[in-house]
Amino acid sequence: MIKGFCCNYTLSVEPEALRSEGLIPEDVEIERLPCTGRLEVPEILDSFSEGAEAVFVVGCQLDKCHNLSGSRRASKRVGQARKILEELDMDPALVEMFYAGRGETEPVVEAARLMAARVSEQDQPG
Amino acid sequence: MIIAERKTLKELLGMIDGCSRVLILGCRGCVAVCSAGGDKEVAILASALKLGLTRRGKKIDIEQRTLVRQCDPEYIDPLNQDAADFDAVLSMACGVGVNFIADRCDKVNVLPALDTTFYGANLSSGEWKEMCAGCGACVLHLTGGLCPVARCAKSLSNGPCGGSQGGRCEIHPDVACIWQQIYDKLSGLNRSDEMKNIMPIRDWTSAGHGGPRRRIREDLLP
Repeated sequence: MIKGFCCNYTLSVEPEALRSEGLIPEDVEIERLPCTGRLEVPEILDSFSEGAEAVFVVGCQLDKCHNLSGSRRASKRVGQARKILEELDMDPALVEMFYAGRGETEPVVEAARLMAARVSEQDQPG
Repeated sequence: MIIAERKTLKELLGMIDGCSRVLILGCRGCVAVCSAGGDKEVAILASALKLGLTRRGKKIDIEQRTLVRQCDPEYIDPLNQDAADFDAVLSMACGVGVNFIADRCDKVNVLPALDTTFYGANLSSGEWKEMCAGCGACVLHLTGGLCPVARCAKSLSNGPCGGSQGGRCEIHPDVACIWQQIYDKLSGLNRSDEMKNIMPIRDWTSAGHGGPRRRIREDLLP
């Protein structure tokens, strides 16, 4: 399972619609937040504990965040989570921050596919 | 404030290995202000340890709690009633809190989650600098308010060492020589002549070299 967190401004459609259209892989689960600045480090880490193989966050472009600094905060928390993964001998690239323009679905889809590809690369033997 | 930083997760996972129930205990004092051991850091550590344990195929019940302070009996003593059944209490306070729990709570197995580092000031968000060594014999009135004990790599009392070059410390070239700063500060206050007064040899007893320090104020005793 791959867990995604998006804010309401970057993802204006229901995540289920993306899956039913075949735009994102079946095992990608996306949670919409009022703002990615609301996301805390424990939520990212708990996603891994609950079975996620990778986590991605899609927030507003840094200079166009609806809540001014929400995506900047999210980006710092993703950075904190990456450091913790490293401490636990996990690949920090399994958590990543992405940015999207308001209502742009494409960057969210690309983020989900990129993380899915990253996970399947890691699953390859050797 | 007292500055501290979290020990590595590997170290902490090693400490709680074999436990089945652990309490992570934060402190809302100095360590909360320096973002090392407040409510937020307790939550992050709990999640990080759970993830580390999951990866090791282990499971420990981890509870979280944060006290107003861990350096006052009124907050610590209740642990005797409700924390003795934890296999370990992982304190996110400074070393004072850990010691105080160990002193006052016989049945509590307290472990340090942080390394306590220094007394410092907050230069900007995420940056702290040592300003005081708690030596117990303050000379700041002689040095323009700048501490040569804490801020000189050699804790010199009477001017810079021979290694100070261009106003920089020879031990840490990225650090300004505090004696240069003292001179600049006193000069700006028209007090530089005071530097000709030789400070007497320091008695380091008050700095803890005579054993643990204690202060008693009779007027405040119960």
